[in-house]
Amino acid sequence: MKQLKKPTTTKLRTEKQLSSKTLRQIRKIVEATDGRAGAPIRVLQQVQGLVGYLPPEVLKTVSKEMGIPLAELYGITSFYSFFSLVPKGKYVLQVCMGTSCYVKGAERIMKTLKNDYNLEAGGITSDRKFSLEQVRCLGCCGLSPVMAIKENVYRKVKPSQIKDIMTSYK
Amino acid sequence: MKPLASAKELTQLRDKIQAKLAKQEKKIQVKVHLGTCGISSGANSVLQAFKQGIKTNKLSDASVLKAACIGLCDREPVVTIEHPKTGKTTYYDVTKDKVSKIIQKHLIGNKVVDEWKLDTTDPLLKLQEIRVMHNQDLDPMNIDEYIARDGYQGLAKALTQMKPDDVIAEIGKAGLRGRGGAGFPTGTKWTFVRNAVGDEKYVVCNGDEGDPGAYMNRAVLEGNPHSIIEGMAIGAYAIGNVRQGYAYVRAEYPLAMETLNHAITKAREYGLLGKNILGTGFEFDLDIFPGAGAFVCGEETALLTSIEGKRGNPRQRPPFPANKGLFDKPTTLNNVETWSNVPQIIWKGADWFGSVGTTSSKGTKTLCLVGKVNNTGLVEVPLGTPLGKIVFDIGGGIPKGKQFKAVQIGGPSGGVIPIANLNTPVDYEAVTALGAIMGSGGLVVMDEDSCMVDVAKFFLQFTRDESCGKCTPCRAGIPKMLAFLTKITEGKATMEDLGTLSELADMVCQASICGLGQTAPNPVLTTLRHFKEEYEAHIIDKKCPAVVCSSLFKAPCSGTCPVGLDAPGYIAFIKQNKFDEACRVIMQRLPLPLSVGRVCPHPCEKKCRRQQVEEPISIRHLHRFAADYAFEHGFEYKPEIKERKNERIAIIGAGPAGLSAAWDLTHAGYQITIFEALPVAGGMLAVGIPEYRLPKNLLKKEIDIIQKLGVEIKLNSRVDDIEALLKDNKYQAVFIATGAHKGDKMKIPGEDLAGVFDAIEFLRELNLGKKIKVGQKVAVIGGGNSAIDAARVALREGAKEVHILYRREKKDMPALPDEIVAADEEGIQIHCLTAPTKILGNNGTVTGLECIRMELKEFDTSGRRTPNPIEGSEYRLSFDTVIEATGQRPDTSFLGGDGIGTGKGGTIVADPRTLATNRQGVFAGGDVVSGPATVIEAIAAGQRAASSIKRFLRGEPLSPLVERNGYKPIDVPPIPPTEEELKERPRVPMKEVSTPDRKDSFKEVALSYSPTEAKKEGSRCLRCDLEVGE
Repeated sequence: MKQLKKPTTTKLRTEKQLSSKTLRQIRKIVEATDGRAGAPIRVLQQVQGLVGYLPPEVLKTVSKEMGIPLAELYGITSFYSFFSLVPKGKYVLQVCMGTSCYVKGAERIMKTLKNDYNLEAGGITSDRKFSLEQVRCLGCCGLSPVMAIKENVYRKVKPSQIKDIMTSYK
Repeated sequence: MKPLASAKELTQLRDKIQAKLAKQEKKIQVKVHLGTCGISSGANSVLQAFKQGIKTNKLSDASVLKAACIGLCDREPVVTIEHPKTGKTTYYDVTKDKVSKIIQKHLIGNKVVDEWKLDTTDPLLKLQEIRVMHNQDLDPMNIDEYIARDGYQGLAKALTQMKPDDVIAEIGKAGLRGRGGAGFPTGTKWTFVRNAVGDEKYVVCNGDEGDPGAYMNRAVLEGNPHSIIEGMAIGAYAIGNVRQGYAYVRAEYPLAMETLNHAITKAREYGLLGKNILGTGFEFDLDIFPGAGAFVCGEETALLTSIEGKRGNPRQRPPFPANKGLFDKPTTLNNVETWSNVPQIIWKGADWFGSVGTTSSKGTKTLCLVGKVNNTGLVEVPLGTPLGKIVFDIGGGIPKGKQFKAVQIGGPSGGVIPIANLNTPVDYEAVTALGAIMGSGGLVVMDEDSCMVDVAKFFLQFTRDESCGKCTPCRAGIPKMLAFLTKITEGKATMEDLGTLSELADMVCQASICGLGQTAPNPVLTTLRHFKEEYEAHIIDKKCPAVVCSSLFKAPCSGTCPVGLDAPGYIAFIKQNKFDEACRVIMQRLPLPLSVGRVCPHPCEKKCRRQQVEEPISIRHLHRFAADYAFEHGFEYKPEIKERKNERIAIIGAGPAGLSAAWDLTHAGYQITIFEALPVAGGMLAVGIPEYRLPKNLLKKEIDIIQKLGVEIKLNSRVDDIEALLKDNKYQAVFIATGAHKGDKMKIPGEDLAGVFDAIEFLRELNLGKKIKVGQKVAVIGGGNSAIDAARVALREGAKEVHILYRREKKDMPALPDEIVAADEEGIQIHCLTAPTKILGNNGTVTGLECIRMELKEFDTSGRRTPNPIEGSEYRLSFDTVIEATGQRPDTSFLGGDGIGTGKGGTIVADPRTLATNRQGVFAGGDVVSGPATVIEAIAAGQRAASSIKRFLRGEPLSPLVERNGYKPIDVPPIPPTEEELKERPRVPMKEVSTPDRKDSFKEVALSYSPTEAKKEGSRCLRCDLEVGE
């Protein structure tokens, strides 16, 4: 997954100050997780849920609040595919690249997204509406090939259906 | 809810809930199965529709309930209805629209809607043994329903009636093995942890199910979460000094996380987790750790590191987690399914558990059956169930009539099991013996359209991306291996590279520190072991047999065609009304456009991408149209032969192989003489294929063109001495292409009776104009094209009744499907699963057959089930003519003492790629080398021979790559299909002579397209040649 995370069309945002509200919420998350096994991962997951991704200013705050070196947090965020250091599109389009989806033609979905939307794995559309993630097995192998946007899993996707699916998101 | 204070209170609660449920069972219960697959298929809206419908219809005695996934992912949404009058019914593919009919007819009218109901006798359900998934008709969010099914009784029994050592002994006796991969005995693992020194120990559940193609753990987490909690509590008790457990669940499974979380909260509330469980003083609690997406965390030490909140890097073992695990404390880590099995073993006993499975692999295994199989989904079978049974009976076989190729088992750490091993019992030892691993139970079925090199590449891309990077062999070795695989799929690799790849694979296996690296090469090693010929095809022939690797072909159709005929090219010309050009594109490649357009088995159509829209285009019919139209409208094929050479080549046999070799060689300017033993040229096309399939005047037209180019064909000229041809430099090279014209005998009594023929002889004699007296009632034995040909010919020769007897099932008949349909239409009776044991006769003449019924048993190496006679089922049928069509072989007796090597079935031994025999200057190809094959393969062999002969005569080394006949390719207009052409529409059917008219006549049955029809059909072509070639 690691090399897929490199953004193709976006850059790291320049650092800026966090709002006091965000700061408060981060502190609350850190406190609530105190003492539980694996605290840094739990905290980062919840903070990402709050902010949407993990920009440098957020990581620095978490580092300070938890007393964990920034380098260690960066090590964790770059290791797990769940974490994102760059902003994502309004909708994250996940195309499953599990074995079953692969056998049933997931490549054709990726190709259609590339040709019709100039959207590649790790990239984002120019209107920032969709970003694309190539994900490992979503566990819906019985319905492959599978594509997911938010909680909606699309089953047996044909390239010809992609346009309709994408336009259904406003 | 007050926490349960004793085992007795638990039992009392169980009885109370059971009584309540029993009351409920007297009413109608609608259970909507809500797994991830169900929800994504619309199960929630089905649930709402039922609720709404029941309300509107005021059905006070019906309730709508939620239930877990039953594994039929492909048929979701699934709804089970328990009705006091009709019993239990399961509906599949339920939609909102179907709901109102089910309510009206079933809930109100008490009648099951049969057409939507799941057949309970379907092998898909019948062959399963549901144990781990036993709660699938209950609501996983309701702890009471679990308790009603004796839930937590195992824990109560362990805590109140068993010592910790007894618990471990029971698990050991049951023979439970780790369900996550390697199959390590669970009892032994627990003993290690119990014996480890430490006053703080942990139990951990591995729910980081990362194998692509596997989701059985998700189903258990979502469907039966309490079984995991109970199992872990029992484990904690057995090991001792455990107060805390962790369930590591991967981030991709939000519903699983929610369900388990809810179950843990409820278990605490009921006093089944926490301090003083069931009043016994035993303390244990459980926390979920949400994984953050890293495949390597499925490896035990990496998972434990991850729970500690760090990067999930694996640690060096030893020390093993049993001694130094989570937070350096003794830890046992077991898979979701392993934990889930524990409560039932304690409650029902080790003997019950071992009542299914094999001696060393006991119990059941949940498997994910996915990929190219009809019934995709989750199944639970006894360990040791044969693979073929899982794929073909439970899985319902391969969709679209395609050929099964292999099963990939065990995910990226596992390997492939090929068609020859369908009888393999799926248990730990047997799967490992084939180089794969059971893994967590992902079973991905692959068919003829999967390229095994590409599959290996896919898995290596996966493991490359997921390698944590800690150790060099894995971090650097896998990308290196991947680079070799990429080179192979691009046709740029050498056989030396293949050796290096194997060495590298061994090194990565041996030197990596964790399971990820150690097993990552498995997909490569197993594909190399079972599909080496596919690797060689990529490397040596620069061909991808499954037409997947796009660097190696232009379009799937031409990439599959043995002669590489440019179908998109001639179809493009047909669309432009340039029928002569279309025919020229075909004739650049082969001399027999009229014949091939009629009798080719068209492997191209099986790969046609149009079938992703609806069905493949009629490539062969278009081929025939182009040739027919051009020949009927004065088309003349005049190649420009650049230089006439002096070298002379003798070709033995004027069949498709010989003629095509002559065609290519004469285009290159060589002097060709063909020696043909029969009085006609054309080989099997002339004497095997009946007139109604291929009119002989058309074949003659084609042969005339070949002769006009200067090829000399000597008929009635049997060659008895190859050396004599080469003597005194009369001919500089010889190509033997004598075909396979000898019918096989069945070796049963009575074959010498008058009225018994072999199909090859029968068809040959009639085609040569000889008279054969065909009786009134004819039996043809066999299921291939010759059998169908002989049967249809017998009908046309005046037989009143024709019967075909075949020992397997109709779907196994090797004859072309169209031909089988035609035989049916003409009233030929096909009897399957029957085999003759004796030909009966009177006064030297046939009077009938004694037959025996057959049943299909084990799978043979070709993936078909072996027919076995059913003892005592003999029966007799009367016939006056019997035609044996059970096989054919080459007759190489003419070789005499020439010293040319012969092999199995009388074939000539020649290098399959260069067609060189052991005698320098003598080449052989077609059926005489391969045994009976298709006309297009024979033509391809002819071209291969021509290519080798040209190289031989130029004094160059032979090469497996075919040198084409040197013609400048015709430029094909690069016009992609329009939007209109991409719209769904069926293929244009070809007209046929109606059945009553054709039975007595040898007139051609299939009629050609009209130009309008051809253009219409041609406009369905997707022009894949443009797409891939970019």
